Amino acid sequence: MKRKLAATLLAATMVVAMFAGCGTTASKETATPDASTDATSVTETATTEEASSQDPNAYEECTLTFDWWGGDSRHEATIAAIEAFEKKYPGIKIEYNYGAWSDWETAKASEYLSGTNADIQQTNFDWIRKYDGDANTYLDLRTVSDTLDLSQYSDTVLALPVDSKGGLAGIPVSLTGRTFFWNKATYEKAGLSVPTTLKELMEAGPIFKEKLGDEYYPLVLTEYDRAIFMAFYLQAQTGEPIIDQNNNFTMTEEQLKLGLEFITSLEENHVIPTIEYYDGEGAEAIDKSVRWIEGKYAGCHNWDSAHKSLVSALPNGDDLVVGNALMDTGAHGSGTYVKVSQMFSISAKCEHPHEAALFLNYILNDEEGAGIMSTERGIPESKAAFAVCEAAGKIDPMVAAAHKSVMDSNPMYWNPLFDDSSLKGDTALYNNLFEGLSYGVRDGSYSIEDAAADLYAAYTAIAPAK
Amino acid sequence: MNKTQRFLRDNIGFFFVLPWLIGFLIFKAYPFVSSLYYSFTDYDLFKGISKYTFENYVNVFANKQERTALIITFKYAFMTVPLKLVSALFIAYILNFKIKGVNFFRTAYYIPSILGGSVAIAVLWRALFKDGGLIAMILGRIGIESPKFFTDNNWALFMVCLLRVWQFGSAMVIFLAALKGVPTELYESAAIDGAGKWRQFFKITVPLITPVIFYNLITQLVAAFQEFNGPFIITKGGPRGSTTLMSLLVYNNAFGGAYKMGKASAQAWVLFVILVIFTAISFWSQKHWVYYADEDGR
Repeated sequence: MKRKLAATLLAATMVVAMFAGCGTTASKETATPDASTDATSVTETATTEEASSQDPNAYEECTLTFDWWGGDSRHEATIAAIEAFEKKYPGIKIEYNYGAWSDWETAKASEYLSGTNADIQQTNFDWIRKYDGDANTYLDLRTVSDTLDLSQYSDTVLALPVDSKGGLAGIPVSLTGRTFFWNKATYEKAGLSVPTTLKELMEAGPIFKEKLGDEYYPLVLTEYDRAIFMAFYLQAQTGEPIIDQNNNFTMTEEQLKLGLEFITSLEENHVIPTIEYYDGEGAEAIDKSVRWIEGKYAGCHNWDSAHKSLVSALPNGDDLVVGNALMDTGAHGSGTYVKVSQMFSISAKCEHPHEAALFLNYILNDEEGAGIMSTERGIPESKAAFAVCEAAGKIDPMVAAAHKSVMDSNPMYWNPLFDDSSLKGDTALYNNLFEGLSYGVRDGSYSIEDAAADLYAAYTAIAPAK
Repeated sequence: MNKTQRFLRDNIGFFFVLPWLIGFLIFKAYPFVSSLYYSFTDYDLFKGISKYTFENYVNVFANKQERTALIITFKYAFMTVPLKLVSALFIAYILNFKIKGVNFFRTAYYIPSILGGSVAIAVLWRALFKDGGLIAMILGRIGIESPKFFTDNNWALFMVCLLRVWQFGSAMVIFLAALKGVPTELYESAAIDGAGKWRQFFKITVPLITPVIFYNLITQLVAAFQEFNGPFIITKGGPRGSTTLMSLLVYNNAFGGAYKMGKASAQAWVLFVILVIFTAISFWSQKHWVYYADEDGR
C-alpha cells in the first residue's frame, strides 16, 4: 500500500513539475509608445481599462503570444513588423510562432480545445463556425475599437466575420475570390485570344484538340475547382448563393443535375482534362504541374491571391493574363463569390486585449507596420494599409488586376458551410463525387442523376433546403 | 541504513521504469480505454457528446464508404503480407549461399527497409510511377504502353502494396538469421539421399523456420492493417476510393477537419478487433504448421 502511495505521489510530483512554469507573466506597469525606444517613459498607472479609457496609446508592459501560417516571405515580413512594433512599444514583448499551412489547422484545433491558443492569431473565416460556435473563443473586436481603428474597413467587410452573438470575431486582412488565369501564349498558338465568355471557352476545347493535340486543354479544374465552378454556374442561373445567409441550401436536385451536366460537358468538349488525366501526373497543385509549366494547361480557375505562384511557375511570366469572370455564365452574371482570405483575431482569454489590439492596429493600419507587412496576405482591406502599399509601389499590378476582376464581378455571399468537412477533404464528398463522375460517366458506373442525388443529400444534410 | 535509503534500495527498479510507466498510462492506456468509450458516442471534438449510440459501429458495415474501406484494407493486407513474406524468404534463401559480394547484396536489399514508412520514399514512388514518370518512359522506350499506375482502379492498390512489398528487408534479415540456424548436416544427409535443392527447401528449410515465418506473419499482418503513409501520400485514397484504407478514414474523421472522434474511434476499434481475431486465428493455427524443435516437435 505504501509503495502504491509513494508511486502515486512521485507520479503526481513529476506531472506537476512538468507543467510548472507554463504560462505568461506580465507586470503592472504601463507605458506610452516611444519611437526612440527609450524605456524611461514607463510610468505607473492603474488598470488596462483605465489606461485605455484615458489614452488609447497607453499600455501595460506584457508578453503577448502570436501565431500565423504562410510561406517564407510572409514570415520574414511579419517578424520584421513584430520587431518594429517592439521597438516602438518597449515593454510589450511578442512571442511568435509560425509555420506552413500543412497540418496547421489540426495543431490549432487542439490548442482551442485545450485553451492554449495564442493571444493573437491569424485565423480563417470558417474557424468562427468551427471553433467559436459559442462566441467564447475570439474576442469581439468592437470592444477594443478605441485602439483598433475599424473605420479603415468598409461596413461590408466588417459584416462578414461575425460570431453567433453578433460580435466581430476577426478583422479581415484581405478578401479573395476565384478568377481565371490564362496562358495567352498557348491560346495564341491555337490561333485564339483568351476567352471572355463561356461560349468562347466552350469553343476553345475542340480547337485546342485539333490544332495543338490531345495534351492541350484550355482550362484545368481539380475536383474542388469543379465544385466551385459548378456553384458559380448555378448561382448565375438563379441569382442566389448556393447556401444563403440563413444556412439554407437554395438549389433543387434538378438544378444540381444541370450543374453536373455543365461540368461533364466541359470534359466531353475537351475544355478540361479528366480527373484521371490530371491525377495521373501526381502534381500536388496546379502550379506544380509540368503541364501547367509547359503551357499544356492554358488556364485555371484559382484564388486571385494565387497569382504569384502561378506566374512564377511559368518560364515566361508575361504569358499569364488574368481573365475577367465569364459574365455570360447565366442570367444573373458570373455567379462568383468572394470570401475573407484571412483574418486576425484576439483570443477571448487574452489578458491584455488592449495591448493585443494595439499590436493589430500597428500591423494592419499603422503607416510603418502596414508598410512592413506589405501585401504578404493579399491586397489589404484596410484603407490606410492599401494607401501605404500603393504609394510604396508594393501592389503588383497583376495581383491588383486579379483582385479587381473578382471584386468587379458582382460577387455573391459565400457561406462557410460550402467548405464543411463532410464536403471538402481528401475522402470527403467533393473529391469522391467529381472523381466518381469523371470516371463514371465514361465507364457507365456512375451517372449524373446518381451524382445529383448524392450531392443534394450531402448539401441538405448540412444546410436544410430552403 | 535509514528508512529512506532502504525504501530507495527496495524500489530502485520501480523508479527506473516509472518514466516509461507514466508515458504508457498517459499516452497509451488512457487513450486506448477512452477511445472505446468515445466509440459509443457521437463525440465531436468541439461540440462534445450529445448522444450515446451504436450507430458508429453499425455504419462501419452499413455505410458504403466505410464498408468499401474495410474491404480494401483486407485486400491490401492479403496482397501485401504473402507477397512480402515470399519475397523476403526467397531473397534471404539466395543470400544464404556463399556467393561473391553477398554482403553488398544483403545491404542493398535491406536499405529500403531502413527507409521504412518514410514520406520521402512514398513521394519517390509517386514520381517513379506517375504518368510520364521514369517507369512509363522506360516502358515507352521498349514499345510498351505504360499502365496508369495511380489513376487506374485496377492498378492503384497494387502499386501501394508494391511499395511495402519492396521494403521486405527487415523480414529478410530475420529469415536470414533463421536460415543460418538450420543444421547443415540435414542438407548433407538429404543430398546423399538424392534430394534436390527445391526438395531440401520445402522438406527441411521451411519446416525448420516455421516459427520465424509465424513471427514475420504476425508482425507484417499488424503493420499491413495499420498502413497509412503509402496511400495517404501517393494516392490520397483515390482513384475513386480504391486505395482508401480504413486507417485513412480514421485519420480523416478524427483530424481531417471533421473532428468526429466518436466515429473515428469506432472505426479504429473495428480495425483493432479484426487484428485481434486474425492474430488469434494465427496463434490457433500454429499447432498445425509451426515446428518448435525445442518442445515435442509441434
